Amino acid sequence: MLPIFVLTLRQLSGKWRLSIMSVLALLPVIIAVLMVSFEGAPTVREFEDAVLSGILAGAISPLVVLAIASAAFANEIEDSTLANLVLAPIPRWQIVVPKLLAAICVSGPFIAISAFLTGYFAYSADFRSALAVTGAAIVGVALYSSAFVWLGLMTTRAIGYGLIYIVLWEGFFSSFVMGVRFFSVRYYSIAWMHGFDARRFAGFDDFGFGLAVVASVAVFGGFLLLAIRRLRYMDVP
Amino acid sequence: MDALPAADAVTTNGEAPVIRVDRVSRWFGSVVAVSDVTFSVTPGITGLLGPNGAGKTTLLRMMTGLVDPSDGTVTVFGEPVRRNPPLYGRMGVMSEHETVYGFMKGRDFVRMMGRLRGVTDEAAVDKAIDRVDLAEAADRPMGTYSRGMRQRMRLAGTLVHDPEILILDEPLNGADPRQRVHFQSLLRKLAAEGRTIVLSSHILEEVEQLADTVLLIVNGKLAASGDFRAIRVALDERPYHVLVVSDSPRELAAAVVQLGSVDAVNVDPDGTLVVLSRNVRDLQIELPRLAQSASISLRRVEPLDDSLESVFGYLVER
Amino acid sequence: MMGRPEVKKREGTVFDIGYQNYTGPREGRGRARLSVIRNGVRTSLGFGRGALAKVLPWLFIGVLVFIAIIMALVAGAADRLVGPEDADQLNLPSHSDYYGIASIIFFVFAAVGAPDLLCPDRREGTINLYLVRPLTGSDYVFSRWLAFFLVMVAVAWLPQFILLMGLLMGDPRPVNYLLENWLDIPRFLLAAIPLAAYTTTLALLAAAFTTRRAYAAVFLVGLFVITTPFTTGLASEIGGTAGQWISMFNLSNIPVHVNDVIFGEPSVITRSAPAAEMSSWILVGWFLLWTLGPAGVLWMRYRRLTP
Repeated sequence: MLPIFVLTLRQLSGKWRLSIMSVLALLPVIIAVLMVSFEGAPTVREFEDAVLSGILAGAISPLVVLAIASAAFANEIEDSTLANLVLAPIPRWQIVVPKLLAAICVSGPFIAISAFLTGYFAYSADFRSALAVTGAAIVGVALYSSAFVWLGLMTTRAIGYGLIYIVLWEGFFSSFVMGVRFFSVRYYSIAWMHGFDARRFAGFDDFGFGLAVVASVAVFGGFLLLAIRRLRYMDVP
Repeated sequence: MDALPAADAVTTNGEAPVIRVDRVSRWFGSVVAVSDVTFSVTPGITGLLGPNGAGKTTLLRMMTGLVDPSDGTVTVFGEPVRRNPPLYGRMGVMSEHETVYGFMKGRDFVRMMGRLRGVTDEAAVDKAIDRVDLAEAADRPMGTYSRGMRQRMRLAGTLVHDPEILILDEPLNGADPRQRVHFQSLLRKLAAEGRTIVLSSHILEEVEQLADTVLLIVNGKLAASGDFRAIRVALDERPYHVLVVSDSPRELAAAVVQLGSVDAVNVDPDGTLVVLSRNVRDLQIELPRLAQSASISLRRVEPLDDSLESVFGYLVER
Repeated sequence: MMGRPEVKKREGTVFDIGYQNYTGPREGRGRARLSVIRNGVRTSLGFGRGALAKVLPWLFIGVLVFIAIIMALVAGAADRLVGPEDADQLNLPSHSDYYGIASIIFFVFAAVGAPDLLCPDRREGTINLYLVRPLTGSDYVFSRWLAFFLVMVAVAWLPQFILLMGLLMGDPRPVNYLLENWLDIPRFLLAAIPLAAYTTTLALLAAAFTTRRAYAAVFLVGLFVITTPFTTGLASEIGGTAGQWISMFNLSNIPVHVNDVIFGEPSVITRSAPAAEMSSWILVGWFLLWTLGPAGVLWMRYRRLTP
């Protein structure tokens, strides 16, 4: 598994790609700093809705992960190099798992650092809250990565479908239609944040922590299994 | 065309088949890429020939398990090849796609291919690279390689785990003449070690020189298989063309056309005769006798279609 | 001794049954450009390829039409529930607001669709097949631009016409509605043009710098995502002229401001933006800067290309 992990790390770590991810990841931090500078510490709910949910978990994180995770397999398919891996005498999960882990390892640090600094500045240097935001962001990265790795195997237009999902489902429907939150990675990761720091987020029980954990495991495991199955049955270019 | 013999019977040298393709078809929507093909492959070199779009690559991809047949079965060492990863350890496959990981050094690529197949010994990596004569360039990124070098390094990656079966799709693309000679010598050596090699190519001359067995694919169907000379003999509905140069072409033509073994005689403007005969054995005996009795000197007698190119051309066109 | 027989002069004829030289008219650069435009339109809409190639572009078009249908249904429902006079007071979204409401979908459609016209040709080297024809690099990129621009205009007009039909059919007095609001028609037709030009130019510019469609798409969407909340929050905090200019850097609102100038009033999306208070000349000039500037960079990137 290590050779595939290292290969994918190198494939996904292009200079331009990393620069763009850095710029995207900086945005929530800058907004947090500006909000605090102009308004003083925002209310917890306001900041969560506007920045953590709306920008970080709902836009920046899925965008960054989409660009990286969907490319894990999509680039190999486009370049016709996937056969190099598929024709190895190893179980298919030993191809999918290192690809997924590499995608998480490339996109994770950007989002994690962004989340930590955002939470740190917004919540007056409260480490626990900052770590809660970071932990939730990492969960979000893992869930989005699992879904978009699978999407990259299913279609060469993964970016298009991924953007529709982010803009319409996570951005629009999940904000206005209450029931959609039960099927939204954005709200799962926010619920994890609530669970990690119940002290600051006490009373935010629109989506329970226990339910979020179960749903997250189901989403991560489900898309991972789907990706493995797809690799087993697809015709390899 | 008569029905082909069953896969069991289509073997060379009486050896047990390593790869068996049994009534395999593959269609993409309404396009039939491969139609009801049956053959077996045994140790040695088998050449897969056919015009562009004949179905060679689709057939090779089914033989390597990359693509599901729509119908029929493909087995390697008696096991289904599709969705059978342990079998891939015994196979080395080089596809037609020439794309490489441009950022990766050649040595790292071969090492990675070896590690994926359980080879951790660095000596095996060195050996594979030496075999393709790329030791000097092995520590450069493959993005800096020429086309021929990329092909050779890909071949090294195919050989690193010492597979029993090699399936090579257009492996000589981009190779210069010296590399071609080196490659041919390498393949012969590998085949002599008992490996099974299936090689797809457009270069008839090389397949003619290398392959013990030829599989001719035309329009998705197996048009012929076996030694190309034996295929030629089997094409008995088509007369042989024999070139005859003499000092009295017209007189010879008038006499030859009356022979029972001759179908027709064409006389070229330069006086060359092309004799069409379905019974070359009798012609071989009758022609010199005829020339002697007519006091005609024969300067040259040469079969024109005793080549793979001729057989290929005929089968593709008919 | 017998004389040698006279050698007859050999005659022969070659019959050309194979390759025939083309002797018809050669139409030159104009036809070549037209072919590239036609190919670009077909590629953008998935025509000439399998069913799967049509799914994504028509999914976007479906969403845009769906938004228009919802707006029409809401307007019709309001008329029925509270009566036409009171419904007018509600100031429900209409033609002037449509492009602002649907702008994110237009941007994503452009981000996903436009790179298809430039990236594969450079990635696979097929751009050389164009450049060996009587086409320059400028012809090629202009033709690609025009192809996607035409698609964007059509995609922008379609839901507006559906909205118009919906509003007409939902109004208890359709003829009166048309007589009172006929000016909306030329306005929404005109307002589609800056939206199409802006999105086409930025999307193609992003595609001009990479051979992978995915990165161009994500970069462009990321750009809009970055500037929207950043400028919105900052502008309202700082206020004044500085705040107005900061608000002007909300890239997703630039063509919507031009839409507002055409309709003579801010749309529901830009109403609260400080930039809406700027003069029309500044708003239009800003749009031209953000369209013609990137267009110039795009042109310079392609004009020197040779096969």
